[in-house]
Amino acid sequence: MEESDSGVKYLIGRSAGKSAVIAAFVATHVATMAGLWFGGVRLPQFNFNMLNGWLVLGLTADPVQTFVIGGILHYTSGIIWGVVFALIVHPALGRFIKPLAALTPTNNYIKGVLWGLVLWVISSAFWMPLLIDPLFGGGVVGPFLTKFGLNGVQALFANLLWHSIYGVNLGLLFSPTPAATRGSWRAASGVGVR
Amino acid sequence: MASRTLLVYAGLFLLGLVLLAVGALTQPYRVGATPGSEVGESLVAIGLTFVILGIGYFLAWANPTQ
Repeated sequence: MEESDSGVKYLIGRSAGKSAVIAAFVATHVATMAGLWFGGVRLPQFNFNMLNGWLVLGLTADPVQTFVIGGILHYTSGIIWGVVFALIVHPALGRFIKPLAALTPTNNYIKGVLWGLVLWVISSAFWMPLLIDPLFGGGVVGPFLTKFGLNGVQALFANLLWHSIYGVNLGLLFSPTPAATRGSWRAASGVGVR
Repeated sequence: MASRTLLVYAGLFLLGLVLLAVGALTQPYRVGATPGSEVGESLVAIGLTFVILGIGYFLAWANPTQ
């Protein structure tokens, strides 16, 4: 754990920005790999690399090229959403929801989970139906992802699982805590602060 | 207080396991890209979500990096 001059320490790096970028990259990668493995637990596969690649290159481009270009776009999006969370949403949630104001690992985790739910809604309500559906000629993606190709509403909940994995990892890894003492945040904030 | 919090995390995890088990047992096996039952696969997804949330809560509570 590194300590910054701002009175806050992070699990990764010395600044909120650096910590956010690395945490968001890890969260995006874990969620992306999990999405590719969804078939192993009887769920529809979520290959966001290919979906992003198809958006840019179309459906007829070379699959490897589509996966790589789409992957770069997808990881960039994941990191940017993570930075938005860390620098804007995380402090704002602490300001507006008083029980989440204290910088504790549990509160940081809950904020990450909430951000994952927000991204799930954005993905299901807007990204999938408005961008992916027209790509396949329409009728492939239902409103709020209640249909996705041959899949029905299970796609919506698989998308929830995907974004929960992202939010859980982001909330656990982007975890600013008071740097008043080097020993433990418990010593700084008192036992039972949760 | 701490033990009650732990019980909540454990409850979340167990709820996920139950949903996962019910979903896995009630749906026919997915063959390739052909989906199984909507309800079964939805329960699997929701169950896994609860399991992951429960594990995450526990990890945040345990604060293993300290």
